[in-house]
Amino acid sequence: MQRVIERILNLLAFLLTAQRPVTADEIRMTVAGYDQASDEAWRRMFERDKDLLRRLGIPLELRPTDAWEVEHGYVVEPSDYALPDPGLSDEERAALWLAAQVVRIGGQASGPDALFKLGGAPVTASGEPLAADLGADQEALGVAFGAVADRRHLAFRYRDRPRVVAPYGLVHRRGHWYLVGPEAARPDEIKVFRLDRAADLTAGDGAGVFERPAGFRASDTIPKAPWEAGQEDLEARVVFDPEIAWWARRQLGAGSTITERPDGGIEVVTPVASPDAFIGWVLGFDDAAEIVAPPELRERLLALLGEAP
Amino acid sequence: MTSPKTAHRLTRILSMLPWVIANPGATVHEVCDRFGYTPRELAADLDLVFVCGLPGYGPGDLMVAYIEEDEVVVEMADYFSAPLRLSPPEALSLLASGMALLSAGEASEALQRAVDKLQAVVLPDAPEALVVDLSEPDLVAELKGAAARGEVMHISHMSMASGVVTERDIEPWSVFSTLGNWYVSAYCRSAGGERVFRIDRIRAAAPTGETFRTGGHAPPPVVAYSPGEDDARAVIRLEGPARWVADYYPVEVLEDTGDTLTVRFSAADPLVTARLLLRLGAAAELLEGDEVAVAHHRLRARILARYGTRPGRERTG
Repeated sequence: MQRVIERILNLLAFLLTAQRPVTADEIRMTVAGYDQASDEAWRRMFERDKDLLRRLGIPLELRPTDAWEVEHGYVVEPSDYALPDPGLSDEERAALWLAAQVVRIGGQASGPDALFKLGGAPVTASGEPLAADLGADQEALGVAFGAVADRRHLAFRYRDRPRVVAPYGLVHRRGHWYLVGPEAARPDEIKVFRLDRAADLTAGDGAGVFERPAGFRASDTIPKAPWEAGQEDLEARVVFDPEIAWWARRQLGAGSTITERPDGGIEVVTPVASPDAFIGWVLGFDDAAEIVAPPELRERLLALLGEAP
Repeated sequence: MTSPKTAHRLTRILSMLPWVIANPGATVHEVCDRFGYTPRELAADLDLVFVCGLPGYGPGDLMVAYIEEDEVVVEMADYFSAPLRLSPPEALSLLASGMALLSAGEASEALQRAVDKLQAVVLPDAPEALVVDLSEPDLVAELKGAAARGEVMHISHMSMASGVVTERDIEPWSVFSTLGNWYVSAYCRSAGGERVFRIDRIRAAAPTGETFRTGGHAPPPVVAYSPGEDDARAVIRLEGPARWVADYYPVEVLEDTGDTLTVRFSAADPLVTARLLLRLGAAAELLEGDEVAVAHHRLRARILARYGTRPGRERTG
């Protein structure tokens, strides 16, 4: 490990100070640590080292060495290498570190590396009796977020169709990660994709390839209650019996009107954009809830139960 | 493939150097505390830095790094004076963690400031592009407080399956959020064992005045359902619109024809499966599972009665 680290530090020092693209051959002949290797060993070593640099988040680019573009060389721009300083205080860093310990992504807590880059913080166990898991495949999430931040296109398979999407934003809500943005072919129609159903996620090479609409808020695209997302525009009236009224009340969005009934139950008027999701939710209360209006929603529920109207 | 240890060690070196350069006179203790080093590890990394530098690799080309008295000295390393940028997964995990706690109302002002500052650097042109919403149901704060203080709580909890509300005394260990729901893990005095309760199903919680000894209970990483021996099993055929069930529940896939999916579905209570079947309507067909068939039949009849309809001919089951 020691020799790899020395080699990488030498390589990085060279690339950061070269101020021009340097070819692989030049690296091999100049940078300490590569000189003794045979052709084959050198190639393998250099591939591994490039991988490692990228894994650390170091932007290694290949560029033509001159205007004729005959040869290509490697560049690490010092301005791309460096972290724009967020100017965190020690207290703010410690707060971030606590958050990172308490919240897991894809079952894993973040290691301290990111925090080291920000200037480090005393590493302590949180001791908080609180934890949260944000689900998701960490790697896919990283790719998606990189594309959101750099405004790159994202290519993936979704419902067995290949898509290319301009990823405007990323939202975690109700236990899932959603990718928000239009398909490149239809820029006016903003769509929502469940990230866990997107396969073979790949970010495009070009950065800054799309603009978000002014005032875009990813949060607005995914409503708090599942039945508020959809194409239809209904208003449902539902009665909940006293013993489960408290539980229904907890799950209703801000757009609902709740009226108490003399028996302790409640009557709720709520907007419904996705009748299927709404009926599914009401059925979760068994026979302790009843859709009172509109008639078509009642009929859809009965039809789902196999009762012709 | 290089080991994650190597990547970790390099990251720490490339983070420590700029900080020491920016804070001349830093002590060994400060650097160790901040970057999680033991003094021996720090000395080893400085020794390593000392033999690296620019081509030529002579005395004027190598970096200078050593400990003098109690002070960490780094010189001739200006090219490493800026901290390394965050990789996208690192930026995301820090931001998302901070936002998650903020959305759950569990955060300090310092965290809010940290998230704002980080967001300004990572997503300068679209601060609204990343949203993490862990909206916290009532009682999370109370139960968390009770866990921290070691207070025995009396709760009214509604069973997921049967809808029956039970009264229990619990010793809450921790609260956690996973897959969009909040849970409390606890020792349940009434049941005499360890239990996990979904917090939105707890109608009320109040301290009993008794206390218990805290500590030693790590929060469970995930709530995963694993089928038990007494569980009600069913074989269900799912058509197109119902295929999501296989993504959402821990089912065993028996056959996938492309159009339809046949799965084995287990649940502690047949009512859970029955409710799902009702919800899926014609897109799901119960192929096996007598207990579930009975539960399904009864539940359907109860709901139809509520809607003033007597059950007609059944399609499935």
